Order: sequence, then structure tokens, then C-alpha cells
Amino acid sequence: MEERVKTGMGAAAAALDYDAELMLRVKEGDGASFGVLLDKHRSSVVHFLQRMVQNQAVAEELAQEVFLRVYRSRSTYEPTAKFTTWLFRIATHLALNALRDGKNERAQERLDDDSAEQPVRQVSDRLPTVEQTLVYQARLDEVRRAVAALPEKQRAAVLMHKYEEMEYSQIAKVLSCSESAVKSLLFRAYETLRARLAHMA
Amino acid sequence: MKCPMEGREGNEVLLAYIGGRLDRPYSAMLEEHIQSCSGCREFTEGQASVWKALDAWEAEPVSTDFDRRLYVRIDREVSVWDVILRPFRPLLVRQGLPIAAAAAVVLMAGFLMERPAGMLPVSTQPTSAAVERVAPDQAEQTLQDMEMMRELNRLVHPDADSKI
Repeated sequence: MEERVKTGMGAAAAALDYDAELMLRVKEGDGASFGVLLDKHRSSVVHFLQRMVQNQAVAEELAQEVFLRVYRSRSTYEPTAKFTTWLFRIATHLALNALRDGKNERAQERLDDDSAEQPVRQVSDRLPTVEQTLVYQARLDEVRRAVAALPEKQRAAVLMHKYEEMEYSQIAKVLSCSESAVKSLLFRAYETLRARLAHMA
Repeated sequence: MKCPMEGREGNEVLLAYIGGRLDRPYSAMLEEHIQSCSGCREFTEGQASVWKALDAWEAEPVSTDFDRRLYVRIDREVSVWDVILRPFRPLLVRQGLPIAAAAAVVLMAGFLMERPAGMLPVSTQPTSAAVERVAPDQAEQTLQDMEMMRELNRLVHPDADSKI
């Protein structure tokens, strides 16, 4: 199985070296390298957190904390793991804490009350009709609710697997569990989502 | 082709297939199998619908002032000393050791040049510590011995007296 999966190891190894190299430069006091790392990973961290806590403001606040922690840790940084593993471990830890602290309540409120305030997205090249927009919003809310209903670790695993395209081994390192535990988490999560979202096909 | 569902990694293989993470030849082989296997077809169709639903969930764009807000927070945390030392930090980290070594060599050279060659190392012991305590009778005995030696010398070398 392993050899069948396109891992793009060459690119991954190069990325590992490049990110770690950048972080080592930050450690030496090169602020510009921190800017490069921020540019490279800002969107993925914010988007992961958005989908985890389902609140834009909270997600950005948490993402700021992630990068702040990275910056604070620069003097003690050692490239023992892939940079993104470290980054997403911080992000996941903060997201899970935020969810447990009840910051997600605001997210749920937003899901329940503010769906009409979501930015309207185009579903085709032409301007969507009111009906299309409503259908799209309804589907989107359904997806968000289905993901939000997953247990926290399953949710994190699905988001990293689906949107960040992480390997099982990397997700395992982020979540501090075994690869087989990740496979089990993902299988159960996708089973649940299939039961909830299959009708949307 | 053996049905992936019969193996331990069946779900993993089919998830990778839906996610487009399999290499092309294996993916094509699996696609052929899926057409003839109802179990795999059912799983992949269900999973494909989940994938499609999740694809519809686009993330919001990141605020344009995200970096500015972050740098404000970073600047607030950086101490005055960090600000002062920031321009020198790369120099200190990258070239600190060679500079320190060069400075040590210069200092050592200066120290050696100031000291005359062949000079004995200065004793670090205080002078008073080198003086032994001598009893008065022992000193008197020594003076008498010296006087006796001088007398003997005068007898052996009568002409040496003037030299002494």
C-alpha cells in the first residue's frame, strides 16, 4: 500500500528541509525568514482552525497565537520533526482547548443564527439565483454541522486528511497517537459523515 | 485483482483512491475492479459523496490585517534588549565563535609580547610565606660556623682575604 500512494517524498523532503532551514534562520534572528514561513503556512493554519472552531474571528485569534508561539519558541527550536507537524500540533492543541473552553459556543450560535450573513459564493460562472444561493447555504450548513458533530479528534483528523492532505503518519504525530489509531479515527469519522451527507450526492 | 476490502488496508486503499492519492497504474487497476465489485463500488460511491460535500466547504479568506496584528503582538513581546541586539544577532550567532577565538589570540599575543623572553614565571606565593622561622640559638650557631669557615679559608688562602 505504502508504495502505491503518491507521497511526493522528494518534494516533501525538500519542503521539510526548507521550512526547518527557515526556522533555524529565525532562530539566528532573521525576521524575514519568519515572514516567509508566515506567508507559506498562514492560510492553511487559519483555514484548519476555521473548520475546527467554525468561527472566523476565533480561528484568526488562535492562528495568531500559533504563530506567536512559533516565534516565541525560536530560540529553543530544534528540527526534530517536520515543521508543519509541529505547527499543526500547536494549532490542534489550541483548537481543542478553545473548543473545551466553550469558544465554540459562539461558533454554534453563528451556525444557528448568522447563516444569512455568510458571504455569498458563486456556484458557477454566472451569478447564482436566490434559490441556488439558498440551496448552497443549506448544503454548506449541513456539511458544517456534520463536521462539528464529530468528536474533536476525529474532526481534527478528517480536516488534516481531507483539506491539508496529510499522510496518516503525520496526522499521528500531530495527534500524538499511533498510525493505526488515526486510520481508525478516520474510518469512523468518514462512516459518520457518509451516513449524514450521502444524500447530498 | 484481489478485492481490497478483503485485506486489512481495504478502507485505506479506497480512501486513498477517492482522495486521488494513488499512483496512476494502481488507480486504473482499482477502477476496473470497482466496476465489477459491488462492495467496493458502494463504499467508493458513498465516500465520493462525502468528499464532494466536503469540497463544497470553502474556507473564508484570511483577514488582510492578519500579519499586521501578529507583528504588533510580536513587537509588544520583544524586549528592549532584543531590539538593541537584533542587528548584531546574526553576527554574534554565525561569527561569534571565530571573533571570540581571534580576540583570544590577540590578547594572548599581546600578553606574551609584553613579557621578556626567558623570564621566570613569577611566584604566586606571597614573599612572607617563603621565609622560614629560625630559632635564635640556631642562628647563633650558624654565624659561628660561618666565622669558623672564614678562618679556615684565611688559613688556606692567605692572599684571598683582601678579595673577600
